[in-house]
Amino acid sequence: MRMLGVFEKSERVRHIGHLDIQRAVQRGLRRSGLPVAYSNGFNPHIQVTFASALSTGACGKREIMDVKMAEPVSEEVFLRKMNAAMPQDMQLSSARAVDDRHPALMASLKAGIYEMVIRDPRQADRLLPAIGPMMAQETIPVARKTKSGIKEVDMKPLIYALRGEGQKLYATLMLTERESCKPNMILEGLKRAAGMPEEEEVRMLVIRTQLLGEAGDGGLVPLETL
Amino acid sequence: MNMNDRIEAMLEKVQKAPRYTGGEMNTQIKGWEEAPLHFVFCFPDTYEVGMSHLGMKILTGLINDQDWSLCERCFMPWVDMMALMKEEQVPLFSLESRRPLKDFDVVGFTLMYEMSYSNVLAMLDMGGVPVERRDRGENDPIVVAGGGCASNPEPISDFIDAFMIGAGEEVMLELNRVILERKEKGWTREECLKRLAQLEGVYVPSLYDAEYHPDGTLKSFRPNCPEAPERVMKRYVDDFDHAYFPSKVAVPYTEVVFDRITLEIMRGCTRGCRFCQAGMLYRPVRERSLETLVHQAETLVEATGYEEISLSSLSSGDYTCLPELIRELMRRMKDRRVSISLPSLRIDSVLKESLEETQQVKKSSLTFAPEAGTQRLRDVINKGVTEEDLIEKVRDAFQGGWSSVKLYFMDGLPTETVEDLDGIADLAKKVVAEYFKVPKGERARGLRVTVSCSTFVPKPHTPFQWAAQDTISVINEKQEHLREVLKIKGVNFNWHAPHLSFLEACFSRGDRRLGRVLKRAWERGCLLDGWNDQFKFDEWMEAFRDCGLDPAFYANRERSREELLPWDFLDCGITKDFLWREKEKSDRAETTRDCRKGCNGCGIQRFKGLCAYADPKRAGAPSPSLVPYEPEGGNA
Repeated sequence: MRMLGVFEKSERVRHIGHLDIQRAVQRGLRRSGLPVAYSNGFNPHIQVTFASALSTGACGKREIMDVKMAEPVSEEVFLRKMNAAMPQDMQLSSARAVDDRHPALMASLKAGIYEMVIRDPRQADRLLPAIGPMMAQETIPVARKTKSGIKEVDMKPLIYALRGEGQKLYATLMLTERESCKPNMILEGLKRAAGMPEEEEVRMLVIRTQLLGEAGDGGLVPLETL
Repeated sequence: MNMNDRIEAMLEKVQKAPRYTGGEMNTQIKGWEEAPLHFVFCFPDTYEVGMSHLGMKILTGLINDQDWSLCERCFMPWVDMMALMKEEQVPLFSLESRRPLKDFDVVGFTLMYEMSYSNVLAMLDMGGVPVERRDRGENDPIVVAGGGCASNPEPISDFIDAFMIGAGEEVMLELNRVILERKEKGWTREECLKRLAQLEGVYVPSLYDAEYHPDGTLKSFRPNCPEAPERVMKRYVDDFDHAYFPSKVAVPYTEVVFDRITLEIMRGCTRGCRFCQAGMLYRPVRERSLETLVHQAETLVEATGYEEISLSSLSSGDYTCLPELIRELMRRMKDRRVSISLPSLRIDSVLKESLEETQQVKKSSLTFAPEAGTQRLRDVINKGVTEEDLIEKVRDAFQGGWSSVKLYFMDGLPTETVEDLDGIADLAKKVVAEYFKVPKGERARGLRVTVSCSTFVPKPHTPFQWAAQDTISVINEKQEHLREVLKIKGVNFNWHAPHLSFLEACFSRGDRRLGRVLKRAWERGCLLDGWNDQFKFDEWMEAFRDCGLDPAFYANRERSREELLPWDFLDCGITKDFLWREKEKSDRAETTRDCRKGCNGCGIQRFKGLCAYADPKRAGAPSPSLVPYEPEGGNA
């Protein structure tokens, strides 16, 4: 069996990179004493994967770990033992046992919901009114760094939803293995639409609040419930 | 912006922000109001270095385990962070509550190496604490320090209110209790320091005066008040096997230098290598029992989730039940996929069977430390290892499937000649030859012999405490020679420029006048000296000139038997007479036996019941230069 654990990456640990988060989870699993499955081979490691890597600097409210168990355990026991074994800043909110044949989370992942907090309220006042005009554009070109250099992409088809309130932006953005839209692309697009100079620094806190997958009827639902 | 917002903004800009954010597993501590005494444990180097240090984990755990005290952590920020802190006027803060150092009752430093001293000054200054102790007022924290370098506290004594000499596990709490009592009873700073001076193992530098001869050597060193003892006794842990051990240690999120469980299996060493300060200072040898170690290992594996345990001591191969310990640890750890590694193996004590057992779990490179290239020089330094020993162990290793061997040597040892340097190359060649003696199909591929050479630094409390260090130009010539003779196929040669070792030699045997140099160097921008890209040798030399002091006086001068040495007021267990006897034997290239084969009368035998190998009959001939000391009840 596999266990899907929904966990938080809080503000305090937001600068920890994905590899270090993975290691922290692996050590947490080791501390928990839960019967986790190890890989074979010379250097055995715990079989755990993550639905999506969260960038360094971003927080996550409902990130998902996918742990292969060597023996069945109940969801309650998994949740209790993991929360005793994980640091305060990476606690789990739920766990769900699934069959080994359950599709890989990474393959089912479709989108992420993000909360973006513009730290400077004056900048927020300039950026938020640009949401409407930007979304009304036929295409929303932004620069994206790729392996072969910087290229322009149209991010309009990658945005499911975008709205603003006070200092916050709420965005539902495409997040698949093939294509994804990053929160800083939204910021860049808004800066352009608002006529803000490219070099003007905007401090922004990114919180990914939910990962989404596609339900049978084509609608987006929380990935962990799929 | 408030302080926290300003810190958050800085963290977005620096490299390696997790150095400053804390919150690692097992570091969640009580709130500020929950304990009356606030201690901040400062490590004068970066997070990655500090979090690898076992002593820090023990002492922070110990202080936090008391309901009346809390302990937060602080590390030396990297240069990018320091620049931002200066720009934003953010004081150096603790990882846990993000309070500046000046808000704590006690600011404690651990002094692991001399070249971290400039960081101590920088951290105090950034944390809002007056750098020099004489400038501190009634509301400033008490600044304390301990660790290996406290065995000669004088060069940094202008900046520290009280030093803890020896093992910190017990005196740490005694010291904190006095400082808490001060808080409750409103004692003045001076009264508090005088009370601290009465604790065994505590040295309060403001209560002592030094006078000098015209030639710069020390004339006298005396207490200036009745509260301060003439001689300060080092502290020992009463019962090493049951000494405090934290059941939960912090697990860093990011990679640190030693990212694993360290089990201290033994304290002290009986070998008596004459260059080795730790071997002299941490006497007598005391072993932890197998039961205690297995228990500690299991507790730590459960609390940390680490994948690796390393056994640590000065000479792990001397641990009485080493094969049993390794076997037992491996048996219990196998299912948990925890590997066991053995660092600092001494070549004459490696057991073939334990080698084979470690290999099952993990095969890394093997390290040997012959230290010198010829038998004569190894006899001078009392490194009781022969070429046959080394070759035999290397042969075992190559036959056992290893292909990577590291050999550690020192250059600039007393009496060293070109022959001794050539001996290093000869030894390396013989090691390479052993590899090729193993038939091609049976040996592991990819021979790698690494020869590392560090420059010898004479240390206080060793038989070489009177010796002159080779000058920088002599060391340069020697290293040039080594580079030539070590051009051997399959051999890599590592060396370090001698400048840092030269400064280390100044500060390891310096007197309190060096405080001026230290301050001047820090004012000139010297910081993070242990980091090659930050080390500013020329600025250090300018600082010496500014203060009218000659570094060669400290590093390159041979001392006489009669000279009063700046650390003579400390009784670290071994006597000056023993050290001098050892120095004379070293001059004659005569060895001294391992203490386990018979007591050598180093001075520890004066303390009843402290050393398992002490010969009480030798206790009747203590050093005349020592104030006789009779411990009450002894330290069983």
